[in-house]
Parts: sequence; C-alpha cells; structure tokens
Amino acid sequence: MDKALLAIVLLPALGALINGVRAFARPLTPKNRMLTNAVALGSTGIAALIAAWVVFVSAGHPEQYTYFEWIPAGIGHVGDLTANFSIDFAMRIDALSSTMLLIVTWIGFLIHVYATGYMSHEKGYTRFFTYLNLFMFMMLLLVLGANYMVMFVGWEGVGLCSYLLIGFYYDKNFAADAGKKAFITNRIGDFGFILGIFLIFNTFGTSDYGKVFAMAAGGGPEKYGWISTAICLLLFVGACGKSAQVPLHVWLPDAMAGPTPVSALIHAATMVTAGVYMVVRSNVLFRMSPEASLVVAIVGAVTAIFAASIGLAQNDIKKVLAYSTVSQLGFMFIAAGVGAYTAAIFHVMTHAFFKACLFLGAGSVIHGCGGEQDMRKMGGLRKYMPSTHRTMAIATYAIAGLPFLSGFISKDEILANAYGYSNAIWIVGAIAAGFTAFYMSRLYFMTFWGEYRGGHGDDHADKAHGHDAHAHSHDPHESPLSMTGVLWVLAILSIVGGLVGWPAALGGAHPTPFQRWLEPVLLPIGGHAFHFHEASHELEWTLMAISVAIALFGVFLAHRLYVRRAPVPDVLEQRLGPVHTLLANKYWVDELYRATVIGGTLAFSRLLWWFDIWVVDGIVNGVRHLTVVAFGHGSNLFDKYVVDGAVNGVGAGAKGSSMMFRRVQSGLVQNYALIMGGGIVLIALVYLFMKP
Amino acid sequence: MDQILNIITYIPLAGALVILFFVNKSNTRAIRVMATATAVVDFIVSLYLWFKFDPNKLWQFEFKVSWIPSLGVDYHFGVDGIAVLLILLTTFMGIIAIVSSYSAIHHREKEYYALLLMLQTGMIGTFCALDFFLFYVFWEIMLVPMYFIIGIWGGQRKLYAAIKFFLYTLAGSVLMLLSILALFLYNDGGIEFLNIVGLGNKATFSVLQFHEIGHLIPPTLQFWIFLGFFFGFAIKVPMFPFHTWLPDAHVEAPTAGSIILAAVLLKMGTYGFVRFALPILPDATRQLLVPIAVLSVIGIIYGALVSLVQKDMKKLVAYSSVSHLGFVMLGMFALNPAGIQGSVIQMINHGISTGALFLLVGMVYERRHTRLIADYGGLAKQMPMYAALFLIAALSSMGLPALNGFIGEFTILLGTANSSAYGTIAYAVFAAVGIVLGAAYLLWLYQRVFWGPLDNPANAKLLDLNGRELGMMIALVALMVWIGVYPKPLFDFIDKPVQYIVQKVDPGYYDKKPVTYPSSPVPAPASEHPEVAAK
Amino acid sequence: MTWSDTVYLLPEILISIGACVLLIVPVTRLRGQGAAAKWTMLALLAITAVSVVVCSNVVANLDDQTATFASMFTLDGFAIFFKLLFIVTIAMVTLLSDDFLRGTRYSPWEYYSLLAFALCGMMFMVSGIHLASIYVGLELMSLSSYILAGYYKNEQKSTEAAMKYFVLGAVSSAILLYGISLIYGVTGSLNLPEIAQSMSTLVTNDALMFGIMLLGAGLCFKIAAAPFHVWTPDVYEGAPTPITAFLSTASKTAAFAIFARIFYVGMHHFRLDWQFVLAVIAALSMILGNFAAITQDSVKRMLAYSSIGHAGYVLLGIIAMSEMGLFGVLVYSVVYVFATLGIWATVLMLERNEYAGEQVDDFDGLHKRAPFWAFAMVVFLLSLGGIPPTAGFIGKYFLFYAAVGAGFGWLAVIAVMMSAVSMFFYFRLVMAMYLKDGREALVTGGGALKLVAAIALIVTLVFGVLPSRLIDQVKISGGWVATRASAVPHGR
Repeated sequence: MDKALLAIVLLPALGALINGVRAFARPLTPKNRMLTNAVALGSTGIAALIAAWVVFVSAGHPEQYTYFEWIPAGIGHVGDLTANFSIDFAMRIDALSSTMLLIVTWIGFLIHVYATGYMSHEKGYTRFFTYLNLFMFMMLLLVLGANYMVMFVGWEGVGLCSYLLIGFYYDKNFAADAGKKAFITNRIGDFGFILGIFLIFNTFGTSDYGKVFAMAAGGGPEKYGWISTAICLLLFVGACGKSAQVPLHVWLPDAMAGPTPVSALIHAATMVTAGVYMVVRSNVLFRMSPEASLVVAIVGAVTAIFAASIGLAQNDIKKVLAYSTVSQLGFMFIAAGVGAYTAAIFHVMTHAFFKACLFLGAGSVIHGCGGEQDMRKMGGLRKYMPSTHRTMAIATYAIAGLPFLSGFISKDEILANAYGYSNAIWIVGAIAAGFTAFYMSRLYFMTFWGEYRGGHGDDHADKAHGHDAHAHSHDPHESPLSMTGVLWVLAILSIVGGLVGWPAALGGAHPTPFQRWLEPVLLPIGGHAFHFHEASHELEWTLMAISVAIALFGVFLAHRLYVRRAPVPDVLEQRLGPVHTLLANKYWVDELYRATVIGGTLAFSRLLWWFDIWVVDGIVNGVRHLTVVAFGHGSNLFDKYVVDGAVNGVGAGAKGSSMMFRRVQSGLVQNYALIMGGGIVLIALVYLFMKP
Repeated sequence: MDQILNIITYIPLAGALVILFFVNKSNTRAIRVMATATAVVDFIVSLYLWFKFDPNKLWQFEFKVSWIPSLGVDYHFGVDGIAVLLILLTTFMGIIAIVSSYSAIHHREKEYYALLLMLQTGMIGTFCALDFFLFYVFWEIMLVPMYFIIGIWGGQRKLYAAIKFFLYTLAGSVLMLLSILALFLYNDGGIEFLNIVGLGNKATFSVLQFHEIGHLIPPTLQFWIFLGFFFGFAIKVPMFPFHTWLPDAHVEAPTAGSIILAAVLLKMGTYGFVRFALPILPDATRQLLVPIAVLSVIGIIYGALVSLVQKDMKKLVAYSSVSHLGFVMLGMFALNPAGIQGSVIQMINHGISTGALFLLVGMVYERRHTRLIADYGGLAKQMPMYAALFLIAALSSMGLPALNGFIGEFTILLGTANSSAYGTIAYAVFAAVGIVLGAAYLLWLYQRVFWGPLDNPANAKLLDLNGRELGMMIALVALMVWIGVYPKPLFDFIDKPVQYIVQKVDPGYYDKKPVTYPSSPVPAPASEHPEVAAK
Repeated sequence: MTWSDTVYLLPEILISIGACVLLIVPVTRLRGQGAAAKWTMLALLAITAVSVVVCSNVVANLDDQTATFASMFTLDGFAIFFKLLFIVTIAMVTLLSDDFLRGTRYSPWEYYSLLAFALCGMMFMVSGIHLASIYVGLELMSLSSYILAGYYKNEQKSTEAAMKYFVLGAVSSAILLYGISLIYGVTGSLNLPEIAQSMSTLVTNDALMFGIMLLGAGLCFKIAAAPFHVWTPDVYEGAPTPITAFLSTASKTAAFAIFARIFYVGMHHFRLDWQFVLAVIAALSMILGNFAAITQDSVKRMLAYSSIGHAGYVLLGIIAMSEMGLFGVLVYSVVYVFATLGIWATVLMLERNEYAGEQVDDFDGLHKRAPFWAFAMVVFLLSLGGIPPTAGFIGKYFLFYAAVGAGFGWLAVIAVMMSAVSMFFYFRLVMAMYLKDGREALVTGGGALKLVAAIALIVTLVFGVLPSRLIDQVKISGGWVATRASAVPHGR
C-alpha cells in the first residue's frame, strides 16, 4: 500500500523529469510528440488506475505511511515541555484524501487526454506536458501529505506550476505579468499559511495531522480555543491566496492567460480547491474556533456575490468562467465556514466535473473559432460544433443549479446549511446563485444561439489572445475526438455526480452516503461527536423551491436579453450604465492595488536604495574622506607650511650655505623648536590636569 | 590519518606554488589544467571527511603541535560537523570558481589561479583552526589574495572596491584581535590594572579551553569582548548597516571572485559567531540578543527591498545576500537547535544558490558584456537551457520547498518562532515578509530578463550554454535538489555540535519533560444515527 | 677600574680603533677605492660582532656582570642583543651605501668611519646604566648622524636637513640634560638602579616628575614621537637615502633601547604618574604619523611619517611596564629594522635605475619589471602593517598584548585602528606595483641591494611563521631589565 501511494506520487514526477529533459530536444517531430504523449498520458493514467485501486482497498480507513525523516529540526519548546521538531515525509490515505485523490488523478488524466488534441499546434508541446505532469506530482503531494509540511511542499509546488503554465506563452507580456502576479499573490497567502504552521508547532510540537488533531480534540476548545482561532485565521489567509478569495482573488482571472486545459485543470478543478481541502482537513481546529469559522463564512459569501456580480459584465468567455470559479469557491468556503465540511468537499467534486467541462468546452469553442475568446464574436455555434454545444449545455444547467443535476444538489446542501447558520449568508448565497444562473446562461446563449458573428478567415489570427492562433482557421469547426470525448465524460459526470449526496429531503438517506464516507475525518472534540445539520423536510423543500425559482428566473432573464434580441450591443451596458462600468472594470481592485500596495513598495524601495547609497555608504566613504582629507592634510598642515616654506625659500634665491643660515635664523627652525617647547608644555598640562 | 586536515588545507597552496614556479606564464592551458586538477584533488580528498566523520562525536581529525610555546600558541587543527560541511562547500565551490574562470580571465592567468588557490588554503585553514591565534592568522591571510583578485581582475571601479573591502574587513578584524587578547589575558593572569582577576590557568589560545572558561567571565568583560567579535564578524557577514562594502566588492569582482565571496567568505562571519561568540560568551550573547535580532530583521527586509529596485543583476544578487545572511543571523541568535541548525544549513544553501546565481550572471555577462537588466528580455527563447537553470537557481534562492533554500529558511523561521530567547513570534513574522519579497524581486528579475518579447537585436544571436557551463550548473542544481529533498545527512552532521552550542549558551535547555500525544479519538460509528438504525 | 673591566668595553674599543683607521686611510694611496672601504668596514663589523659574542661569554663567567666603571656600564643580555642588532643593521646599511657612494664623488672612507663612530656610540649607550654614560653614547651617535645627514655637501636639501637636525638635536639634548640634572638633584644619583632605589623611598614630587618628563621629551625627540617629530620628514627627505635608512633603523632602535632601559630600570616607581602622559604621546604619534602619511606622495616622507607612527607603537611597550611590554620593544625593534631596510633597499634600487624612486607612482607596474622586488616589497609593507604571516604581526601582537594587559584598552583600540589605517597608504604602493601599469623600462637590482632585500625578506617571513626562536632569545636577553619592572606590583 505504501509503495502504491509512493508510485501514485512519483509516476507523474518521473514523467515530468523525462519530458523535461526531452523538452530541449527540437525540432518537435511527430515521433517526439508521440513519445511525449506516451510519457505524459502513461504516467498519469497508470497513477490514476493505482489511485482507484488504493481507494478501493483502503475504503476510507485512515492509514499513514512514513517514508523518511525530512527535516530533523531538533528539540523545541512547547509551553514548558519539549517536543522533537521532526518533520517526516509521510503520506496519509483516508476518506478525505481519497476523494481528492480520485478527483485529481482522474480529472487530471482526462485533461491530459484533452490537451493532446488541444495543444497539438504548439511549439512548446513537450514543455507543456512537463509542467502538467509536474503539477500532478505537486498536487498529489498536497492532498496525500500526512502533515502540514508535506502539504506545504505541494502547496508551493502547485503554485510554481501554475506560475509556469500561466506564463506558458512567456514571450507575451501579459502572460508573463499574470504568472508573476499569481505567484506573488500566492506567496502572500503562504506567508499566513507558514506562520500558521509555526503556531501549530509552538502549540502542538508537531505538524502531523494525526497528532495535532488528536491533541487538539483531546484538549478541547477551553484549552486551545484562543490559539486555534489564531492558527485558523492564519491558515485561512493561505487558503484565500490559493483559492482566490477576496481580497486575494485578483490573480485568478488573469491566470486565464494560460492555455485552456490549464485553466480547466489548475484554475478550476483542482489547485484552487486546495484551500477548501486545507480548511476541511483542519476541521478540528476550525470547529474549536467559531470566530474563525464565521470569518471563513463571511469571506466566502462576500467572494461569492462579489465575483458573481463581476461575471455578469464580462465578454471574454474564459473571464466569465474564471469569475464564476471564484464565486463557486466562495460557496465552498461558505459551506466550510458554516460547518458543512462534507458539503464543501461535495461541491468541490461536482464543481470539478461541470466547471472542467465548461472550461474544456470553452477551449473547444476557442479552438474552433481560431483563438477567438470574445463572446460577442461568437454565436450560433451549435450548428458548427454539436457535441461541444450539448456537453456545455448540460454543464451550464448543472452550475446554474437546475434540478436535479449535480450542481443543484451540492449547492442546495450548502444553502440549506447556510440557512441553518445565518439567514444573511443564505440570502447572499441565494442571490449569488441567481447571478450565476444568469451569466452562465448568458454565456451559453451568446455562444451557441443566434447567428455566428465572427468573421471568416484568417483575420482572427492576429487577435490571437494568449492562445497561439492556429493558422488557416476558416469557419468554426468541431474539435477532434480526443477533446469531445473528454467533454462527454465530464458532462455525464456532472449529471450523475450528485447522486452520491442525494439529500434526505428527496428520499435519500441521512446522513447521505457521501457524508457517511467522510464522517471519519470529522473527529469528535472533547468526546462530543460531530453532528450533521438536520432540518425538517418541509423547510428543505421550501429552500429548494426558492433557489430553483431564482435559478429559473436567471435563465429566463438571460434568454429574454440575449436570445429574443440581438446580444450585441450588450443590453446590460445600456440598462445598467455606471453600474455596468463598475462591474466591467472589476470594481477597479487591480488599479487600487497597483496604486497602493505595489506602488508603495516600489517607492519605498527606491527610497531605501537612495538611503543606502547616500547615508549608509555615505558614512563609510565619509569616514574615508575624513581620514584622507581632514586628518591627513590637517595633521601635517603645520609641517606643510613650515617645510614648504623652507624648501621653496631655499630653492628660491638661496645659493650657498650663508643664505641657508639666514634661512635658519629667519625662524623656520625656531618654529620647530617652538613646537617642541609646546610639546613639553602639553606634557606638563597632561600630567597636571588630565592624568586619571 | 591525523594529517588529513593539513593535506586538505595545503594541497591548494602546493598547487599554487607549482603554478608560480614550474608553469610557463604563456602556457595558459597548462595553468588551467594544473589549477583545476589541484581543486579537484582537494575536493576528492576532502570527501574523506564526509565518509569518515562520526556524527556522534564532536571534535575529530584533530592535529596538534606546539607552535609558539612561549605565547601559548598551538598549531591545532580539528573539525566538528559544522566545519566539515563548510570545508566541503569550500572545496566544491573552489572547483566551480576555477572552472568558471576559463572564459572569464584573459590576462595574468598565472597569478590569478595561484591567488585563487592560496585563497582556498586560507579559507580551509580558517575553518580547521581550533587555536584562536591560528584562526586569526588564517583569517587575515585570506584578505590579501581576495584584495588582489578584486583589484587586478575587477571592473571599472576595482581599485575603490578592493581597498574598501580590504580596509573595512581589516578594521573589524583588528578589533577582534583585541577581544582575543582580552580572552587570553582573562584566562591567564587577568588585567590587574582594571582589577579583573584572571583564572591563572596555563593559558593557551585553545578554543576548546575558551569554551570551558567562557561562562566564568564577568558579564561586563564579556560585553566588551563580544563587541570586538561583533565588529570582526558582523562586517564580514555582512550585517546591516555594515554591508555597503558587499555590493561594490561583488559588482567589481570577477565572476569567480563573487562566487567565492558569496559562497565562503561571507560564511566566515557567521561561522565566527556560531563557533566563538555564542559558546564563549553566553551572557553577552543573551545581553545583545535583541539589537542583533533587530539588525538581522532589518537586513532581511532592507536587503530584499533594495534588491527589488536594482538595475544591475549582480548588484541585485549582492543585496539579496544581505537579506539571506540576515536570516542566518536571526536563526543563530534564536539560541535553540532549530534556529542554529537552520542557520548552518542556510550558510551552505546560500553558498550554493547565490554562488550559482553569480555564476549564471557571469555567463551571460561574458556573452553580452553588460549586467544591466534593461539590456535583456526574452532570453528564454534564445537560451532555453540557461533560462531553465536560472529559474531553478532563483527558486532555490527564494526558498521554494523541495529545493535547498527552503530547508534553511524554514528551519530558521521555525526556530525563531519557537525561540524562548526571543520570547516573541514577531521576529519570525517580519522575517517571513522577507520570503514574500524574495519571490518578488527574483521573479521580477526573471521576467525582465527571460520573458517578454526578445526585442533587443543584440540578444538575438546569443548562444545557449556550452558543455562546461552546463556541467557546472548541473552539479549545483543536483546539490540544490538533494539538499532540498533529503537534507537529513547534513542535519546529522551538525546535530551534535548544535546541541553542544545550545547547552553552552543556554544551559538547561534540554532538561524539560517531553510532551506526550494522546491516541487519536475514534470517530462516531454510523450506528449512532437513529435514522440509519431505523432504515 | 680593574684590568678585567676592559673586557666589557672591548667591542667599543675595537670599533673606535677601526673608525680611526677608516678616518686615517684617506691620507694614504688607498683613497678613492670605494670597494676597499666597503670591505674594510664589513671586516671591522665582523670583528666587532665576534668580539661582542666572545666578551659576552667571558662576562657571563665573571661574578658581577651588571656594574663596572663605578657601575656606569654593563654588558647584560639586553645590551648584547641590541649591539648585535646594530652591527647587523650597520652592515646592511653599508651594503646599501655601496652604490650610492659609487654614484657620488665623496670619499667613502669618512662616510664609513662616521658610521662606525655612530655604531660605537649606539653600542656604548645601550650598555649604559648610568645617565651620564648613556648621554655620552647618545651624543656620539647623534653628532655622527648630523654629519652623515649632510653628506651631500652641496645639495640644499641635504645641508638644510643636517642643519635642522643638528640645531633641533642640540635643543633636545639640552632638554635631556636638564631633565637628567633635575633627577640627579632629587635622587642624588645618576645610576639607574640607585635612582630606582631612592625613588622607592620618595612620595610623588613635582620636581622629579618634571625631570622625568624632560628626560622623556628628550628621548621622544630621538625616537621621533609626536610632538617632537617635526624634524623627521625634512631630515628623512633631505638626507641621502642610505643615511635615511640608517636614521630610520639603527639610530631609532638605539633610542628605543635606551628609552626602555631608562624607564624600566630607573623610573618604574612613578609609572602611574608618567604612564598616562606617555600614553597621550603614543596616541598622538600613532594618529598623526599614520594620518599624515596618507597624503604623502613622496615615499621618503611617507615612510618618515609612518616611522613616527611606529615610534608610537613601541611606546606601548614602554608604557605597559610589563615583561611582555619590554619583550615587545625588543621584538618590534628587530621586525621593524628588517622590514624598513628592505623597503629602503627597494627605493635605492629604483634610484639606481634613474627613477627618482621617491614618488609613489615610480612604483607603477613594478611587478612586471621586477617581480622579486615587488613581491618582497609587499611582504615588507604587510609586515609594517602587522598582517600575518609576517614578522610584523608578531611584533604588534606583543605590543597590543602589553597595552591590553596594562589596562590601556583605549590606547590599544587606537593602536589597532591606526594599524588598519596604515594599510591604507602601505597598500597605495601595493596598488601601484600590482594594479597599475607603469613604464616598461627594465630595472636591475644591484647584487648588494638584492642581498639586503633577500636577508630582510627571509627574516621577515621566517620570524613571521616560526617566531619561537626570536621570542625565546628575547626572553633571555630582556630578562634582567624586565625583572626590574615586574618587581613592583601594579595598581595604585
């Protein structure tokens, strides 16, 4: 079993290594491409199969395997006790990590397959798959790690891969900027994460999940309540960075500069949900700190509504999806905040299905339209690319929350829990859900209905935006099987994916199979077992009815605005006016940051540099100059005038010794004698007055 | 094999003399071969330490003969784990420095390689010396070759940089000499004039003896002695605000000079602190804890911010060293195992990462003869291998997990956050800001140099790395990955010495009960749920 | 005076006879044969050296070896040590003078006889334990050096230097004598041990203190310590280079010796009264000497100022009034003499090759034209700067140790900082030689000069790496004097 886990992690790493070395081999012959495919798909595919087997065998029973001691940091102090600050490279397989494991490996594999088709025109083909495999490796470390440190390795690792993949088209400035922005924003989050880890060490003397949670659960809130608030808030800062929550959400929309499969895999399905995973993983600590949980819920709600509102006014198909991702992540954090940890993970899963499907569909559309990403230049594509159209329709319904697709079930569970926690958050969530339904339908209608608005011929090539335009792209065309096939798989998953969490209100079990599967992760605290949220079926029905109504209204509105009338020019623009401008510009958050944080730092740095040159070093050079100029010249000043006087005087008219004697009588030597006399006086003074 | 340290120390000197006296000035090829061979042999011999060193013992491979008996001076060599690691770093980087000079140095090669090798002897001797007098001698010897290397083969302002380096360091080390004398006097007869009564031992300069008597020294005297050490070492480190010689020296020095300077010479200062200041002067150490920690934190953030706005690649890396060394100092003065282990590991890491960065900058400088960031852009298209290796080096320097930099920085911060000497997590918080900034300036540098369009025609025909350069970089990258993934061997080496130091500076650190962990509570079985039972 | 007493004086007698011979020769046909003069001189020195060794062994077997001629004269280890050092120094100066004399039309014979007389004076004064005998020796040395300084008879600089040196020397001698007379007035003796004896019975006494201070002032003039250094730059610059070498090594060292002897043996009781005064003088010398040297472009003046600084260092050893201090004086004298002679050899080598050799930039690019000389020069400069592994470090080590040990921490700090500052101008020469490119003209060192430089180089390096022999010798030689100081407890 431990070998199997190791294999799952190492296979993609191996693939990355091989392809990484091969990446420098050019030109990219078909043979090389086949090899690349074999390595990339082979490694991830086998890893996925092993993962399935592992999950089947372990069946969610917590198991932990230590491979070697990674950082033996020596004896540290925990309160008035000592602990051995030793960090193992260890992996843990339990219900939670199994779930994430399956999502990562399988979605990852599917997207690899899709990418073989999508990236087929790229020069950096092998490089791309190197990064992708590297990402799989890091992500698997993240979800399988048995302590916060191994998680942190994966955490930073996926950040790196996202940086590399966003900057895949490195010669485009916007891609380079986006990559840097993503990495640094994540670093700011990690700043909180690592401080949280330090607090965990100071409190529990280890970062091992088992020990930490056991100790915490044993001690209970009265012992660890305060400190766990601090820890949770710091960890949550990290989660905000990775999962693009307000105010650290700015990087994710720009991250769309990366190739579309990357957006699907990293910036929708897997990496961005790492924050949710981390919060759920730490549920013991969060449950001991209501304050921290409240913060999580509020941030989640704010993000959900905030991002959704921006999504209303975007015209770039990937941007819309990006903001919807941010908003959906907000939903997940609402769930985690209100204590519905299973619901959060459930939504992670369903979201992985339909959002991946949506992104890949969008990719297929872009691919078909020769690199066009502006929805205003699309339309009527259902004629050209039928399966892309059908699959995206399904995914759109799923995310819009129409019964009874996966999205409906998971989102409904979240909202139900939120209602039980606080009405305000429920209302916000419901409105956000309505927005979602609207802009997703808007996207769907603008893209596939009506008439094709894009020009025909090569004139898109120059508009190629991020995605290297394929030469000779005429009318939109359906994508190859490698892409559509994947789309279909994901579409079906987004239909049936919800069944495992079928709610009791609709005749399911309580707790649902999914909840019971994850139950072992939710340790009892101070002997009190975890209780799933329960509400009367009547209440649940009403809530469902309301959310369905809102969703339907959103879809209907979108249909009114973008199918009945021509979608271009955008009616919202005229109707909403300034509000639209506000939304279209994303509340000017980027501009705000650039003006304050970034600008401030740079200005301050320049100031410091000036300080360094003119003050710190200035003092040093000042001392030097003082030495040379002041002391140097000063201390032999009297020598100088006396001596020079002598020499010049002699050199001048002096001939013969008689002259020189006159010289001497004329006082120079007397000066010397005077100085010596002064010296004696000085000695006397020193003796009389200065002697200690 | 008690001669092993002597052999390691003097092989380079021997090579230098051979080059000076037996190789023809014009025969540069022979000179290079000779120098490289010497360095390689020295490295291979030094590997003996790695394999034969016993991590459970403290001082090993000791070699002691009386040198100036009338002054109580012995010629005493000996190493513990810390020294072994630093010696290995020295011999390894010595090879890199020499090989990297093939294409960089084109006049007066003979003197150049001879001086590099002499410098190496000085550095290794400094790490080996267990006699304070001997240590000082080697410490001073190092200055002269470095002065010549900067002064003869440096850039435009080489004269200024060389003399600045020389005098700044010298001023610090002569003060250190006075502290050494005071130590000796206290150990010997005391200073009657100041009514300081000494111990009246048979006084020697043995560092081990000083370790024994250190805690007996009255705090006030400790304070003054520590001050002398502080100036000697802090200038070498260099700590803010004594760092300004570093950017000049780095920018003006030839590539190999910068590599050696960053990789080894700066470590002399931190090594001095960890070997002498902490164990010999525990009271003064704790007394001056806060100012030093504050200076270190300032150095971390200050260095990072200043690097952010540098226009010259080498200067940027130089200032980043100030930041990194700040981490080392901060961890060391946490006075707990994690902190000190981290700072030692970070010494090695900084040597490798920053050495690699200087090497890379030198490579592109040889091709374009400019170090201005603005002159580059989009190099990744033209030199993919170079770009990849540079990225790895930058990542390790900014402390990305699974690369070496992270191990050091994390352990340091862990120790700082857990330090009962500091008693607050604030230092760790501020230092962690340095990590964020580290990512900022390095990635920004990387973006400006390697990404974006390749618009400067002068860069359009740059050649990618050749075999020699690739070889050096691969060796360095291998080290980075190895230390990042499996640093345990290094930790094993320094575990004992660090315990020794901690017990010296904080007796009773280890006498506390270990914490006991409860067994994980069993999750509630599903049967507890009535509905389930009902169905 | 018994017959056996002459054995004490035998070396001095021999050297003065030799000096007279050298003086008489010119009336014979041998006049104008420089080589002959040189060899005669060297032979004379060799004989003297042998006689010193022999006599010392003889004396060692006599019962009372510390007092003769009414206890005015002694031949203890201290004296022997310095006598041999002087002889070696003068021998090397002789070698340095060779070329120079060949270049001039002055007869070498007088020159050498004057050197011999100076040597005689020096040997006499280091043996003196009686202020009168010391003074006599001092004057003999001084008068000879005045004339030598003016040996370029019709060069303004030289004659003027000699004149200044003479007048000021006379003034300082007057000061010295006045101080001696005051001391005599108070203590009723000129014999150092007796002075110490009677002082031990006295409480502090301003007349006596004034006497001691005048005495110190006079000696400070001889060692050229600030503020009694004013003559140094002019004289060093004006005098012929070999004579400058002589002044900056032999006569300076002799002054160190008597300074140490007088204060260690005679004045140690009132140390707490004069220590601080001397400390101020030492600090002044070090600061003024080193800082003033920075701005000099003439090598001769630069070395003149640096020699002022070195006088300050040596004073540390006298202030300390401890064994280490005295040993420091001895060690430092040796170290300083050889390093300085080496540098003068280099300067002369350059002068010989029609460079002025007096400006710093005459050294530009020397490493290309004369690698050996350049390397030797670096070693000498490092030694003067006190950088290991050269002998200079050992010397400075003793002095700093003594200062710290005596509780003069502040003085030690000044001393080390100044030695760092001194590297600033010493390395100006290194920079010129190695880091700059100069004229390509070839230079050829004369055999004699090369020999001197080689000897100095070897001594500087050997004593730097293996100083034990030197230190042990110093401990034996300085023992008698040192015990006088350490007999008295420190502290008030």
